[in-house]
Amino acid sequence: MSATNCLRCLGRPSVAGASRGVVVPVFAPRTAPFSTTAIQNALPAKGKSGEHQDRSVRVYRAGRKMTFKKKHTGDRGKPPAPGERKAFRKKIVLSNDNALPVPWVTEMEASSLSNENKVGTIVSLPPAVQDQLRATEAFQPTQTWGLFRKPSTLIRKETVELVGKMEKATANKQTARVVLTGEKISGKSTMLIQAQSYAYLNNWIVIHFPDAQELTNGSTEYAPVPNTENPTLYMQQNYCLKLLQSIKKANEKILAKLLTVSNHSELPQNIPVNQTLLSLINAAKEAEGAWSVFQALWSELNAHGANRPPILLSMDNLPHIMKISEYRSASFDKIHSHDLSLVKLFTEALSGNTRFPSGGAVIAATNRNNGPRIPSMELALKQRLAEQRASQEETVPVRDPYFKGYDDRVEKVLKSVEVMEVNRIGKREARSLMEYWAASGLLRTTVDEQTVSEKWTLGGGGVLGEMERAALLTMKI
Amino acid sequence: MASAANSLRLCLRATSRQISVRPAASPLLRRTLTTTAAQCARPGRKKGWKDPSDNFEFPDPYDGKVFNDLGEQLRYSLENDQLTEAERVTVQQALANWENKPNEEKLEEQQIIKEIDKEFAPLRAPVRARRNAFWNEEEQDTDLITDEVGEDDFEENDMMAMGHAKLEEHREYREYARIAVWEMPLLSKFAKKFEPPKENEVLRFRYTTYMGEFHPADRKVVVEFDPRDLFELTEVQRNKLRKLAGARYNPEKGIIKMSCEKFELPAQNKRWLGDTIARLITEAKDPTDTFEDIPLDTRHHKFKSIPRFPKEWYMSEERSRELLAQREKSLELDHKKRQQRELIDGVKVIQQGVLSTVTEREPVAVRVKAR
Repeated sequence: MSATNCLRCLGRPSVAGASRGVVVPVFAPRTAPFSTTAIQNALPAKGKSGEHQDRSVRVYRAGRKMTFKKKHTGDRGKPPAPGERKAFRKKIVLSNDNALPVPWVTEMEASSLSNENKVGTIVSLPPAVQDQLRATEAFQPTQTWGLFRKPSTLIRKETVELVGKMEKATANKQTARVVLTGEKISGKSTMLIQAQSYAYLNNWIVIHFPDAQELTNGSTEYAPVPNTENPTLYMQQNYCLKLLQSIKKANEKILAKLLTVSNHSELPQNIPVNQTLLSLINAAKEAEGAWSVFQALWSELNAHGANRPPILLSMDNLPHIMKISEYRSASFDKIHSHDLSLVKLFTEALSGNTRFPSGGAVIAATNRNNGPRIPSMELALKQRLAEQRASQEETVPVRDPYFKGYDDRVEKVLKSVEVMEVNRIGKREARSLMEYWAASGLLRTTVDEQTVSEKWTLGGGGVLGEMERAALLTMKI
Repeated sequence: MASAANSLRLCLRATSRQISVRPAASPLLRRTLTTTAAQCARPGRKKGWKDPSDNFEFPDPYDGKVFNDLGEQLRYSLENDQLTEAERVTVQQALANWENKPNEEKLEEQQIIKEIDKEFAPLRAPVRARRNAFWNEEEQDTDLITDEVGEDDFEENDMMAMGHAKLEEHREYREYARIAVWEMPLLSKFAKKFEPPKENEVLRFRYTTYMGEFHPADRKVVVEFDPRDLFELTEVQRNKLRKLAGARYNPEKGIIKMSCEKFELPAQNKRWLGDTIARLITEAKDPTDTFEDIPLDTRHHKFKSIPRFPKEWYMSEERSRELLAQREKSLELDHKKRQQRELIDGVKVIQQGVLSTVTEREPVAVRVKAR
């Protein structure tokens, strides 16, 4: 056995040995003689309601446990519930009680948007139309509806042109197929709103895809449509259900009057002949079966000889459906957007393969801010514009023979569409718009030619959104 | 095992072997200019020490004898050595010489030999690194030409190096100034009048010279030509030529540019370029495949668009008149609106709005009071 103390230590007085005879100051056990540290760790503070409120952070450094207390920064409150932030982001405010009512603004009528004499006037959206537009999510949170007393729009030259096309097409039971292009914030989405308002006021049926991105960015469920091969089509049932509900909400009055012409026994709920289309839509209660209901509704709306109203099919953010989607097939191949059944329905209508029985319009708006760059689409739109101008000097642009990024399917869809450029507004229109702003109490200047000219120039020569930024949103951070 | 031990022994013996001692080196038998020591000096060993393990012995011509002078040594070698006839004659001559010399000279000669030995002693001694020296710092560099001591000291009798450099710079300037004044004007004799290239001078060569200096790029020759200048070709053939030229074709300028630095001389490179262009032209003329189905590839070229000030924006008299008319019109419009009280002032509108809301609310408050 080895000794516990070394022999040298035996010669020195140890505490144990000294305690026998000599008085030795008693130290607290296991403390350093010069230390301000508490002998023992303080106990964690108890919470008020008994819950665990230890805000300290334990760190092990150099083998020792170190405890740092977090600073208590006050009650932060409850974090927002799931979905609350998105709801706030997407919130649409259509009126402002603090803004002054503008006396000369009249309500939009069925014929006012196609009246050339009304170019440059401001009309307000009727409350019924507002509800319908809300239902189809046509309003966007980036637009400035929330600044004014009533949601109103400026009738532009392009508005009259577009609505004129719609009118002319329906008169001949044709379909106007229009793609709206133009610069950023030049008013393409607002043009869609105007087209929709015209359709609602004239008792059209409106099917609006508020954001094409939602269809192709892989955010909704998808499944192959049974019995489709070469190519396999994919349905998006959840999106379909949402779309059906928005169609129902927006077109309730008309759909209640329209009756089915054929029997739909394949649906979750059997719909016999002579039922209203509203009850057909009501058959879609769940996502399952929504696609078949939508198909039935689409076939009913396109039924020939049933005296259907004209249809407006519109879509915002068109470039998103002109690319390969984010979805994958069962063999992990990428799915082209045009193989998604809802997108296909739209592209078929846009390319002119689907003909509406009473005519109508297919209107799509491109987007410049968040849109992908689709070389084929850009080329096709440029070609259509050049063809429409049909000038001798300008040649129709052709494909670059050595560029690989073209997509035949996209070009096929856009082969015969009309392209409308939503351009900058003129000074006359700008003046009436600015007078409306001033009369609403939002522009603290006298609206004369000089101010109009100034804001018009600041706004990139009449880009409407830029003018708003220059004049109205100067305080927006 | 025995063989291994034996080989080890032999190795050891070989390493410790010494050259046998040749005492009293004579000026005749010694190479006069040698720094090699006759024998490795070893401390603790006397002269004539022999490896006791060594049975073999190099033959010692003098058998360990020590001579007092050269004559003694020569005589000994005449008697004992097996010399050839010629050697014997030379040794006898040398001996005769030695014996004919006066005594002082003999002494002097011996003295010189001693001195030389003394002088060379440190050179012959092998220089060993000191044990405690750091990286052999103190070792003398025997390869140096000078001793490098005090070389960089400035002795206040000259300009500094920078001053010399400045002077050199001035000299250079003045040299070129002299050339510019005296020699350059003479060059005008060689000036030639510019003649634009003729119709048959399609190729434009560029050579590079570095003014007589050698440079790897001085052999390079560059040629430029425009296919439109080749009048003998049809448009289809020209297009084929452009396609054959590939990335050497500049679609913006319409020029084909090629270079060659394959060969050592510019002339050879130029010859190669000429041959290549000739081949290109014959290929372009070949009607078997006109390449008409292949579009011209311009991916190698980046088209630059230089934004220019629009012509319509330049101020002209007409334009200024137009603008003036517009301004007058707008002023008139404002004036008319002001008269009809249709001009909208945002500030006034807000004030009126605030007033109207106040007046609207007041009667409500009064009514509540009245109740």
